[in-house]
Amino acid sequence: MKVGFIGLGVMGEPMARHLRAAGHDLAVWARRPESAAALAAEGVPVCATPAELAARCDAVITIVTASADVDALAFGEQGLAAGFAPGAVHVDMSTIAPAMARSLAERYAARGIGFVDAPVSGGGQGAREAALAIMAGADEAVLARVRPLLEAVGKRIVHIGPPGAGQVAKACNQMIMVSAIQACAEALSLANAHGVDAAAVRSALMGGSAASRVLEVMGAKMIGRDFAAGVEARLHHKDFALLMDEAARLGAPLPVAAQVWQQLNALMRAGWGRDDTASLLRLLESSDR
Amino acid sequence: MEVGFIGLGLMGRPMALNLIKAGHTVHVWSRRRESMQPLLDAGANDAASAAEVARRAAITISIVADAPDVEQVTLGADGVADGASAGHIHIDMSTIAPAAAQSIAARLAERGVSMIDAPVSGGEVGAIAATLTIMAGGDAAAFERALPLFQAMGKSVTRIGDSGAGQVAKACNQILTGVGVAAVAEALNFANKSGVDAARVREALLGGFAYSRVLENHGQRMLDRNFKPGFKAWMHQKDMRIVMEEAHRLGLALPSSAATAQMFNAMVGSGLGEDDSVAMLKLLEGMSGGSGK
Repeated sequence: MKVGFIGLGVMGEPMARHLRAAGHDLAVWARRPESAAALAAEGVPVCATPAELAARCDAVITIVTASADVDALAFGEQGLAAGFAPGAVHVDMSTIAPAMARSLAERYAARGIGFVDAPVSGGGQGAREAALAIMAGADEAVLARVRPLLEAVGKRIVHIGPPGAGQVAKACNQMIMVSAIQACAEALSLANAHGVDAAAVRSALMGGSAASRVLEVMGAKMIGRDFAAGVEARLHHKDFALLMDEAARLGAPLPVAAQVWQQLNALMRAGWGRDDTASLLRLLESSDR
Repeated sequence: MEVGFIGLGLMGRPMALNLIKAGHTVHVWSRRRESMQPLLDAGANDAASAAEVARRAAITISIVADAPDVEQVTLGADGVADGASAGHIHIDMSTIAPAAAQSIAARLAERGVSMIDAPVSGGEVGAIAATLTIMAGGDAAAFERALPLFQAMGKSVTRIGDSGAGQVAKACNQILTGVGVAAVAEALNFANKSGVDAARVREALLGGFAYSRVLENHGQRMLDRNFKPGFKAWMHQKDMRIVMEEAHRLGLALPSSAATAQMFNAMVGSGLGEDDSVAMLKLLEGMSGGSGK
């Protein structure tokens, strides 16, 4: 397929390479030309605007930071919508508000263009290994057209429901994952407070009912006091604002997530937004004093 | 004084009536025409738009639901800015985010209008009795000019600081009353479920360190099972949402407010949104096997 890619960051660049390796005809656009330099040197065409990229592609994948960024890429001046031919598909793999995903899908549909919200879980490692979990929200027929692209970057692709449903699943993912990181931090902090070897505790727990990916990966980071980002905590902080705002709109109580959100707020104030979310452990330690 | 008034809801109507009672000439406009009638009957003048209100009076007041409404009546088509002449003062008494108040004030300033954010506390009862607490943010000279109007509507009038400061004070007020309502509901439900007379507990506590206005007023309404608003739970939910969004922006942990905000979410989600905030008690009872002992 002729596929375009926008958002060549820690996640996006390896994803773009996997698409090319799978035999797709790749082209890119980048707000900062230097982020496309490596691919350009390998012969990947770099377009001058999102519209130009859309005009040469059957589908364009975006993975950027915020709802407003995706909106601007799609419907801003020289945006994707201005270039897409009818029947083309925009696959947005960013984490944004479900309401924005629904709004984009509606506006595209009015022009005969498809939209898939397909946020991912698995982090930089999952992107490098083409092993991402992909949660898709789209009409069945639209998703079918771009499934080969998703299969090139992910291992587990689940069609959750109509447009926006992928973002709802991602919100659930973030809520469970970050709450688990907080629980992990509290457990290791408790072990430390007792003067018990936290590494031994983690190792024992991994064999029992409390075993989880978070305890495995984030627990190891905490014990090794490795707070360099995997995923920057500020991004989880952003995700929490989104999901808590939606919960308020829906009248859904999320008592645990609300507390975790407050810990993330304190983490931001402590200046650890660009560090890993494992820093939630450091926050508990600093409030000991 | 000639004064314009926009937004004649539960709070706005009695506030505008108190301005008339204090001898001010009041020009009113409301999106819903029928809500103007009680004011017109009391001697207010009918205006066709917010802009016309601003053409007739050098000071205008708005009290509406949310930030987009404030933006609409001030900066929108036929809004206050369209009718204002040099030196105009606009007082917004709605509860909105401090950042939104600052942004609207800055845009009004570009059009020569000085805005004061002046949210209130005291509910419908305070609005009727002209005993509201008014928390103002904005230019000191503009505040002085508007003071007689504030005094006609409220008892305790304080200029907190510059633009947005009134809304910050109101957010603090909503933290205290929101968490306070939850605490009183939890305490009374706890007493009841322990098989103790909750009314006597409240009575005793009013004499000690746990005394609060919320225990006195809201507590009594909980005991009477009087869930009629008052202040609707969905409005308190909205206010807590403003608080939590500001906390996120500032990187501040507000754990008690966060827990309380979730309880307001649950009230709205379970159909208690149109009841008074004191229906928090019903929510807790629902989580603890009903209203019996």
